[in-house]
Amino acid sequence: MSSELRVEQLRKVFPTTNKAAVDDVSFTIAAGEIVVLLGPSGCGKTTTLRCVAGLEHPTSGKIVIGGTVYTDPQAGVLVPPRNRNLGMVFQSYAVWPHMTVRQNVAYPLKSRKVSGAALDKGVKEALELVELADYADRPVTQLSGGQMQRVALARSMVYQPQILLLDEPLSNLDAQLRLRLRDDLRRIIKRVGLTALYVTHDQTEAVVLGDRIGVMRDGKLLQLDTPSEIYNQPADLFVAGFTGATNVLDGRVVARDGGGGTVAVASGEHLIARMGDGVAVGAAVRVASRPDNVGLAPAVEGPNQFLGRVTTRHYQGTQTVYQVTVLGATIEALEVGSAARHAEGSAVTVALPPGVCWAYPV
Amino acid sequence: MAASDTIGVTRAWVPWAWSGFLIAVLAFLVLYPTSMLLIGALTTTNPVVEGYKLADLSIGNFLTVAMNPNVAGALVNSLIACGGGTIVAVAIGLGFAWVVVRTNTPCKGLIASAGMLPLFVPPLVAGVAWSILGSPKTGLLNLVFAKTGIPLHLDLYSMPGMIFVFGIYYAPYVYMFTAAALRNMDPALEEAAEISGASALRTMATVTFPLIMPAILSGMLLSFIVMLGIYGIPAVLGAPANLSVLTTYIFALTAWSPPRYNTAAAVAVLLMIVTGLLVFLQQKVVARRSYTTVAGKAFRPRSLNLGPWRFMTLALAIVYLFVVVVLPSIALFIAAFRKFLFIRDIPSLFETKQYGWQHFTKMFDNPLTITSIINSMKVGIITAVVGGILSFAIGYTITRARVPGKRIIDVITTIPVAIPGLVIGVAYLWAWIGLPGGLYGTLWILALAFVARFIPDTVKALSTSLMQIHRELEEAAWICGRGTLSTIASIVLPLARPGVVAAMTLLFILSIRELGSSLFLYSSGTMVMAVQLLGYYEGGNVGITAAFSLVQMVLLGGLITFTNWLTRSAAAPTAAAQTGGIARSG
Repeated sequence: MSSELRVEQLRKVFPTTNKAAVDDVSFTIAAGEIVVLLGPSGCGKTTTLRCVAGLEHPTSGKIVIGGTVYTDPQAGVLVPPRNRNLGMVFQSYAVWPHMTVRQNVAYPLKSRKVSGAALDKGVKEALELVELADYADRPVTQLSGGQMQRVALARSMVYQPQILLLDEPLSNLDAQLRLRLRDDLRRIIKRVGLTALYVTHDQTEAVVLGDRIGVMRDGKLLQLDTPSEIYNQPADLFVAGFTGATNVLDGRVVARDGGGGTVAVASGEHLIARMGDGVAVGAAVRVASRPDNVGLAPAVEGPNQFLGRVTTRHYQGTQTVYQVTVLGATIEALEVGSAARHAEGSAVTVALPPGVCWAYPV
Repeated sequence: MAASDTIGVTRAWVPWAWSGFLIAVLAFLVLYPTSMLLIGALTTTNPVVEGYKLADLSIGNFLTVAMNPNVAGALVNSLIACGGGTIVAVAIGLGFAWVVVRTNTPCKGLIASAGMLPLFVPPLVAGVAWSILGSPKTGLLNLVFAKTGIPLHLDLYSMPGMIFVFGIYYAPYVYMFTAAALRNMDPALEEAAEISGASALRTMATVTFPLIMPAILSGMLLSFIVMLGIYGIPAVLGAPANLSVLTTYIFALTAWSPPRYNTAAAVAVLLMIVTGLLVFLQQKVVARRSYTTVAGKAFRPRSLNLGPWRFMTLALAIVYLFVVVVLPSIALFIAAFRKFLFIRDIPSLFETKQYGWQHFTKMFDNPLTITSIINSMKVGIITAVVGGILSFAIGYTITRARVPGKRIIDVITTIPVAIPGLVIGVAYLWAWIGLPGGLYGTLWILALAFVARFIPDTVKALSTSLMQIHRELEEAAWICGRGTLSTIASIVLPLARPGVVAAMTLLFILSIRELGSSLFLYSSGTMVMAVQLLGYYEGGNVGITAAFSLVQMVLLGGLITFTNWLTRSAAAPTAAAQTGGIARSG
């Protein structure tokens, strides 16, 4: 019985800083959808999640779950967390160390006055879902970090909550375990069909887990789109940079053509890039592109090819990162494969495919 | 081959000799007196008259004493007073911890630091202050009640009186433990319960409370142990009502004529057994994995918005502080500066002509006052120097050195934790009184007894600061060609200096306020402050007693401020150990 979540013009000002931690954030998550809020620390993503949970009281705005208003400070509506029927997985796991695995998972059911066979069945199913059925009677303190996190997951899903909230659930785990649990998480959430709001600062985690990703910065939701759109059509320079488009070239628009235009960069050369409708001829812009989209010595002729020189080469085993001087600036290019083809100091043709160069007004 | 002779080869016997030396010193300080105490408990010979004889060693002697109804009565009184006191301390300490850590009560930082003040008041001073306030006939509070028509009459010379004073003075102990546990608890643990659908009350009962239970239990047992060894409070409040507890009973036995040293030793052994059991229990509680420190990360504790109720909690905290800090201070001031403590009515309390320095003048006219202050300072310095050096040697050996017998050294060092001060006093009495020309009657016996009594605290504090010095710092000095001693002198000691200084000042403070073990070891030439204060109290002069209490409090306050100033840059654990050390010693 997962539900739709609607957040409307959410705003949260902490009295101590007097700065809006969450600033006019609105979004809707369809029933059964996973949305990941992505952003650097302090961007307001966790505060947004905690407002949905009812653990934080927003200054204004509305939170509607399954058609019912749960938070609306202006109307004096503020349902306490215990009556929201939400599941939440915490960054620190927050499994209760004085209880066994079974007791942890049974706790929310007992709060709901479930007992007897129904209780046992619910706990058993939840533990099977996270593959911890054999550990039911262990004290949680004897589990590894990954197992504790799965206990936390079972505990948050055992009562079929309307929405599952996950607050950086993988950040305390080591890298390898993080990769495995990341895939497990999506599979489990999808199998149960839960609506999920997931918070992280890790972009690869966001891409793998989310049906849609919302990028936040300074309390504002900058873009909410599918992972492919976030990567290929970042809404602004920050989203572009945060998701890895680290090559930035300064320039000025000299011509417009549909969804794109021509930009004159520092060296005077012309670069074709995509840009929003609001960018007029003559505007100062920054053109962002991803190092992995930069081609070196392409086989075929095409637009946006320039002559450059390799200044440094960082061989990384399965890939090589080059710093290339081109268009009056230095950009990075990434070459996949264990064979590095270009030597330092060599001249190369640099291709910046117009479809993945985005110009943003400064 | 000749070259190898010139390269220093580590001599194999050195570590053995060092361990042997430390064990010998510890045996002299701890094991020998304790064994003599046990022998004393099992014999009937008088060590002063007959010297030490092992001829009539029998468990029967100990059992005869243990079965004595007076002893049983004292034991029961001890358990009731300390048990009751512990309950009061837990109620106050837990409540105080919750208010300070978990609510938005105003001025809670100030409240928290003021709440620790009772820890620094010597128990005898606390007892004296409360006898001035609450004695059934002349108590100041009774006077105020009678004159203002409040139908209340206090009698602190009673079991409830002892329980009350024990409880309010040892509440900070429970507070220290539980506040730390509440502060270190991951707030997500409680939030997870709320998200799971639990009410605030259910969250508290099923998550918060079970999680801090080990801390509560630990603080509870420790305050019980400390109360069990306290002499000052029951001596002042219990004696007038003929209520003896184990500590006062032991002292009474040695004050009889002729002194009943064997019986005293047997009762002391009984007290040691009870304390030892409790310490064992407490260590078990501590050894169980503490829930609250699992994450090892700093949390912002959840603070409950109490709304207007926060002024209620503020008021409660102020009432507590008023009762434990302000009232006793007022009592001591009035008694110390007023010519006669007989007070006709309330307005006469404020007549300035009734006040003056006469008690102070009279007190300093008594040569014993100055002698006792000077002696206390001397004993304090000896204790600080001897104890400081020994603690550093032991601390370094336990944490760093590669020598045999580290475990034995560690164990012997820990033994005094289970021995109340008063029992150490009886043990040292037994160890030296029968040896003519020995330590008995010198200041050294007091100092050595204090070193033995406080060595677990100082070694622990020093070990903590030594462990913070990374091993590689020392190894780097070795690689540079320094020897062990040279490395200690040039690297370890300078880095550990704040810890060493803190440990030594702690020893100084503890030894000048120590009453329990001094009682049995002073002689007319070696009077110390704590015993002199008891003398004034028992001499019946409340004015001089209060005046001398104030002098001691000012001295202690100055010393503690000075130490805090010294250690403000030192590692936090040292400061914490210091508070802990003072608390353990009562």
